[in-house]
Amino acid sequence: MPSRRLWRLTVHALLFLAALVVVVPFAWITLTAFKERSEVFSLIPQWLPSHPTLKNFSGVLDAMPFWRYYWNTLVVAFGILAVQLVTITLAAYAFARMNFWGRDVLFFLLLVQLMIAPQSTVIQNYLTLSSLGLLDTRLAIMAPYLASAFGTFLLRQTFKGIPRELEEAASLDGCGGLRFLAYIAVPLAVPGYLAFGLVSLTYHWNEFFWPLVITETSKARTLTLGLGIFAQTAEGSADWTMLMAATLMVIAVPLLLFLVFQRRFINSFMQSGLGG
Amino acid sequence: MNRTVEPEVPATILPAAGVAGVREEVRARRRALAVARPYLYILPTFLFLFVFTHYPILKTFYLSLFRWNLATPKMELVGAANYVQAWSSPLFWQVVQNNVLFALGTVPISLALALMSALLINQRIRGLAIYRAALFYPTMIPMAAAAMIWLWILTPSYGLVNFYGRSLGLPDIHWLGHSRFALAALALVGIWKRVGYYMVIFLAGLQVIPEHLYEAAILEGASPWQRFWRITFPLLSPTTFFVAIMAVIDSFQAIDQVYLMTQGGPGNHTNLFIFYIYQNAFRFFDMGYASAVSTILFLILLGLTVLAFRMLHRRVHYA
Repeated sequence: MPSRRLWRLTVHALLFLAALVVVVPFAWITLTAFKERSEVFSLIPQWLPSHPTLKNFSGVLDAMPFWRYYWNTLVVAFGILAVQLVTITLAAYAFARMNFWGRDVLFFLLLVQLMIAPQSTVIQNYLTLSSLGLLDTRLAIMAPYLASAFGTFLLRQTFKGIPRELEEAASLDGCGGLRFLAYIAVPLAVPGYLAFGLVSLTYHWNEFFWPLVITETSKARTLTLGLGIFAQTAEGSADWTMLMAATLMVIAVPLLLFLVFQRRFINSFMQSGLGG
Repeated sequence: MNRTVEPEVPATILPAAGVAGVREEVRARRRALAVARPYLYILPTFLFLFVFTHYPILKTFYLSLFRWNLATPKMELVGAANYVQAWSSPLFWQVVQNNVLFALGTVPISLALALMSALLINQRIRGLAIYRAALFYPTMIPMAAAAMIWLWILTPSYGLVNFYGRSLGLPDIHWLGHSRFALAALALVGIWKRVGYYMVIFLAGLQVIPEHLYEAAILEGASPWQRFWRITFPLLSPTTFFVAIMAVIDSFQAIDQVYLMTQGGPGNHTNLFIFYIYQNAFRFFDMGYASAVSTILFLILLGLTVLAFRMLHRRVHYA
C-alpha cells in the first residue's frame, strides 16, 4: 500500500528531525572539545577540527582536581545507594508484609518525601549539618538522601506480589523473617532493585544544587559542581574548547553506560514516573 | 504468628525461676519482639526521614516567623513580617511572574513534543531504539553539563545559534544577556533536557491502552485521526495530566541552569524561586526571609502534588 509507505516515511522523517535537533548540540560540543583554542573564534561555522588535539583534555586535568571530584562523586552516589538499599528493603518489607498499629499514617508520612521539593528543605538541612560540624563533607552531601520514599514504594509493590503461601512454606522450613527476606524476597525483587539503583545513581551523579550549598572547598565537591565552578574561573570562562572538554569528561561514562544498557535505563526511568 | 523467626534469648538474662516460669518469660519476650519488629524495620528510614524531611519542613516554617539576618544576628520573633515583606516586595512578585512565565513557556511545548515523539515511536518502526535513545539521552546528563553545552551554543558571535541565525539574516543576539530572550533561552534548555523523559512516561501510558480497541475501531472504518481523538487521547489523559503537573513542578524547581547560565540576570529577568531563596539564604544571609519564601514555595508545590496524586488514583476509573 503506497499510503502506508508514505506514512512510514513521514514518521521516519519527523523522528529523524527531532533526533537531529536533540543530538546536534552534543555533536557540536564534542567536536569543539577536540579543536585548537583559537579555532572556535571564527565567524563561519566550522564543524570539523582542522588539527584534532587532545590538549584540552589534559588541560582540564591540570586546571582542576578532576580525579578528586570523580572519586567524591563515586563515593557519594554509591554511598547513598548502599545505605538506601538497606533502609528501603527493611521498610518496604514491613509496609508490604506486616500489620502494625499506625501503618497507614506512617506510610503517608513516608510519602511526604515524594510530595515536597527537596530544595524547600535546603536551609534547615544546611543549618542541621552545620551544627553537626559536617559542612564540606561527602557525608553531608549524602545525608538527606539516605531514606528513599520512592525506593520503598517501588519495592513494597514487588514484595506485595510475592505469594503468601511461599512465605508460609519457607517459614515452616525454618526460613522465616529476616532469612526469608534475604534468601527469597530480595532475590525475587532484583529487577526492582536494578530500576531503583539506576535512577538513584543517575540522580545523585547529576546533582548540582545541594552539593553547591553544602560544600566550601574542593575537598568534598562532586563532578557537576566542579564543572560549574571551573566554568566560572578565568580559565574556564575564557576557553570554550577546554570547558567543552571538561563537560565531555563529566558526562562520558554515564552516557556510554546508557548507550550500552539503553533498554534497562529507559525502563527504570519509566518506572520512576509511575512510582510517584 | 510466625514461629520460626524468634532469635535465641541468651540464658544469662533469664530469671532464675522454675522451668515453667522461664518458658513464660521467653514467650512474653518473643511476643514483645513480634510487636516491635515492624517498627524496628522502619526505624532507619524514619530516623533519616524525620531529621532531613519532616523536621526541616516544620523548622523552616518556624524560622520564617523570625527576623534572622546579618543586621539581626540574634533571632527575633516578628510573626508574619517576613511574609508581609515578600507580599510588598516588587522583586518577589517579579520572581513569581518569571516562574509562571517559565512554566508557561516550558510545560505546553515539552508536553506537545513529548506526546508527538511518543506517538511516533509507538508506531513500531525500524530503528526505534536509536530514535528513542537519541531523544532520551539528555535525561542522563547533568543539568550542569546541559547548561555548559547551551552556554556555548548560545554564545554571541561564535555560538551555533547565532551562526545560523546570521545566515538567515537575523541580527547577532546575546541570548543570555537580553532581558526578554534570557528566560526563553533557559526554557529552551529545560525543554531539550526533559522532553525525552516525558516521552518515556507517555510511552508507558500508550502501552497499556488495549490493542483490541484499535482493532475494533479499524473494523468500524475509523480514520487514524479519529482513533487518536476517540481512543488514544481520552485513555491517555490521566498520564497527560500527571506529566503536566510533573512538568509544572519541575519548572518551579529549576535552579542549576539559572545559577550557571544567568545568575538570575539580566536585571532579575531570570530570577526563579529556588535561586531567589538561595540568594537570600546564602548570599545575603537573610535566613528568616528565605525561610518564608521557602514555605510559600513548599505550599505551592504541595498543592500541585496533591493534585497529581489524586489524578493518579483516578486513572483506574477509566476503563
